[in-house]
Amino acid sequence: MKHLTKTCLSAAAFALATLPALAQTMGPQGETATPSNVVAVADADVEAVRAGNHTAALLWHDQSDFVNAVTAGATAEFERLNIKVVATTSAGFDAAKQRSDIETVLAKNPSIILSLPLDPVTSAAAFEEAKSEGIKLVFLSNLPSGYEHPADYAAIVTDDLFQMGKQAADALAKSMGGTGTVGWIYHDASYYVTNQRDNAFKTTIENDYPNISIVAEQGITDPARAEEIANAMLLRNPDLGGIYVTWAGPAEGVLAALRANGNKTTKIVTLDLSEPVALDMVRGGNVAAIIADEAYELGRAMAAAAVLDLLDQDVPPFVVAPAVTVTADNVAEGWMQSLHINAPASLTTSN
Amino acid sequence: MTRVTSRLNGLDFQQAVVYFGFLAIFLFFAVTLYDDGFLTQRNLTNIVLQTAPATIMAIGLVFALSAGEIDLSFGSIVAVSALSCAVILQDYPLPFGVAVGLGVGMGIGAFNGVLIAYLKLPSFLVTLATMGLFAGIARSMTDLRSIPVMNDTFTGIFGSGKLFSVPSLVIWTVIGVAVGHLIYRHTRFGAHVLATGDNPRAAQVSGIKVPRVRLYVMMICGGCAGLAGLLYAGRLQAAKYTLGESDLMTVIAAVIVGGTALNGGKGSVIGALLGSLLMGMLNNGLILMNLKVSDQMIVRGLIILVAVALSLRDSNR
Amino acid sequence: MTAEQNVLSLTNIHKAFGGVVAIQDFSLNLKAGEVVALVGDNGAGKSTLIKIVSGVYTPTSGSIELDGEETSFSDASSARSKGIEVVYQDLALADQQPVFMNMFLGRELTKPPFGLLDKDRMRRESQELVDELDVRIPSASSTISQLSGGQRQGIAIARATHWASKLILLDEPTAALGVAETARVEDLIENLKKKNLAILIISHSLDQVFRLSDRICVLRRGQQIGIRETAKTDKNEIVSMITGVA
Repeated sequence: MKHLTKTCLSAAAFALATLPALAQTMGPQGETATPSNVVAVADADVEAVRAGNHTAALLWHDQSDFVNAVTAGATAEFERLNIKVVATTSAGFDAAKQRSDIETVLAKNPSIILSLPLDPVTSAAAFEEAKSEGIKLVFLSNLPSGYEHPADYAAIVTDDLFQMGKQAADALAKSMGGTGTVGWIYHDASYYVTNQRDNAFKTTIENDYPNISIVAEQGITDPARAEEIANAMLLRNPDLGGIYVTWAGPAEGVLAALRANGNKTTKIVTLDLSEPVALDMVRGGNVAAIIADEAYELGRAMAAAAVLDLLDQDVPPFVVAPAVTVTADNVAEGWMQSLHINAPASLTTSN
Repeated sequence: MTRVTSRLNGLDFQQAVVYFGFLAIFLFFAVTLYDDGFLTQRNLTNIVLQTAPATIMAIGLVFALSAGEIDLSFGSIVAVSALSCAVILQDYPLPFGVAVGLGVGMGIGAFNGVLIAYLKLPSFLVTLATMGLFAGIARSMTDLRSIPVMNDTFTGIFGSGKLFSVPSLVIWTVIGVAVGHLIYRHTRFGAHVLATGDNPRAAQVSGIKVPRVRLYVMMICGGCAGLAGLLYAGRLQAAKYTLGESDLMTVIAAVIVGGTALNGGKGSVIGALLGSLLMGMLNNGLILMNLKVSDQMIVRGLIILVAVALSLRDSNR
Repeated sequence: MTAEQNVLSLTNIHKAFGGVVAIQDFSLNLKAGEVVALVGDNGAGKSTLIKIVSGVYTPTSGSIELDGEETSFSDASSARSKGIEVVYQDLALADQQPVFMNMFLGRELTKPPFGLLDKDRMRRESQELVDELDVRIPSASSTISQLSGGQRQGIAIARATHWASKLILLDEPTAALGVAETARVEDLIENLKKKNLAILIISHSLDQVFRLSDRICVLRRGQQIGIRETAKTDKNEIVSMITGVA
């Protein structure tokens, strides 16, 4: 029991450190954010890099549209600089597999590794070997615990998480005419990315919209349970003006609950692009807006940060890629800006 | 002549699949990935290190399957054991952490075993339920939080250490396979496990305590999962609720490819080792081939399908 | 009858399941080297009787004597430890294991110092046994599933012979076999008589019963109709005893 209490306490301490009340995105160690467009390889250096015949490995946590877009952005930048991508892996959220993936790609002696460390604690040992071999590490969103900038890694690159949460709040408030009640469905896990976005939404509503109140809060860990959670929330608060859903997966479940209840008035706002959610939006359904990140730009910035480190130039420790608010009016542009692919045909033709 | 063929048939097509498959894939990667470092000592060592926990789990599963039972919960046991051990190691010395980690594994195995052996519930359903139960417990026991393991002796013994320049995970693999094989092939208990899985009625009328055998194999399976949890905790220097979760299918495939029958009475610990190494080699080689992640999954899935189909061909007859 | 002592004596055996009487007042003596056949229609109580003698069921009343000593069996293992072996109709063989492991199933031999299986000795002894009884199999290392029905039956009988010191119960030993294989198994049973074991055999085939047995015991609906010496009776008498139609 003693141990559990201790663990919970340290969990609370960690949460406090990573959930800032400030109105901007901050790094896992409180670093201030640098916009991604600042991180670029100077034209003068391109030839030198191209001549270096460097190689890179991409070690992702999972597979998704987001990862594909980051990969595309990074790969395009690497190609421009004549850097060959020698391996791409997906750990499927398995910390042990990620460790194995790192060991495996080390056999190919890459000069650069771009990766999303699954977990600060487990990844500390996992990246140790790569770190000690002097491979340039650029991390997405998470930082292995105990790693120091600039000695151990080049940079962390992430979405402008606070902006995503804030823009979600702004978009939802706008669709509700600046007044009403809101349900807040947040990711109930200690996960830096979602925690920052969720809290930014809440902070923005509380600080900037005095006529909107958050009347229901519900955590979620399993997207499959979103429909039940939304049903329970609507049962207790039938006149809910809007619902914030932490990401698109569970938003699909919330949407299903609203449809089942014949509810056409409650607005939904969520984060990350998803075709079913966007389809509801373009057809004038419940979904008011989807906030997306510029994943392609994020990938480009990761690649650029690693190359700057190769050139022994200063790299800002914490880089953020901008957020995009996608509404029914800018679906095509939003999709391109975020994922660097055309929006699904269903979204552009049905309008 | 008939003696020779029957000997060959017996010894046997299913077991041969894993030997030939292992060799064929090894040679294929050795040739095609020579320039990508596949054959380097470092990479080959990596494969053994990476598969060590899965190999230990596979040994436990050989016992369960051979007795005609299945354990779907071992992945969850890995997580609970690793987390229990990591939590204990924060305040207590190494032997306590190890004892708790292994004890929790065997304890959960015993829990499964009692339900299966004495309440006569089907192991598939029991462990399907306890898989979820203990996955939930793993999540709740530390609030989804990863627990670091700072005990250097522990991470040395169960993770990154070496003895006479042999990595400890290699030693664990060798010990696990040797002990598992010895018990499985050369003890009365091993014979009783096989007889129980083969024909429980025959085993019972021959005086074998069938329920006790069933209990013990589930405990062995749990204990092996517990040890695998310790190896993960040592290797990652941390424990997390996701440990072992994704190993279920890999380990079952490794064991089946290794010539163990799904319906009991037949198996091989050595085969399970080769099956597990085969899976590790596939993961490794397909990454080194620089395939896209989705293509890695497709190719791996197809190869496993072929291997499983070949090793099950005989017993489906 | 004779001065020779009975191996097995059943006296006034009675067995009821709840209110249903399965065996009523059954008495039978068996001597060493003697084959007694138990015949009767389905449901006559033959299986119940076998289970009582092999320790699976405890009789409601009546006594069981082995070598003249009153005894009782708590379970099948205790009957087996007293020298009674059963060859079950389904043979109770583990199909995917080799012959020698089946011979020693549940009674595996081990060797010092670590108590590991002594496979060489089990293989050797199994081979000797099948050779002695002339059960023709490829080898003691063959897997049961590779053997024919007759060979399997031979293994099951050889196993019983190896472990039985007093009595072997044979439950329909040739029901699943062809003509040639049946003949071989019958030869095998003839051989067992020489080993001075008492044999109780259940069979549906009256021809077989007349070929093999010394005496025939007839059951009908749980009642013992009578015992005849095989040499002094004929099929008609036995049939009418079984059916109750004179």
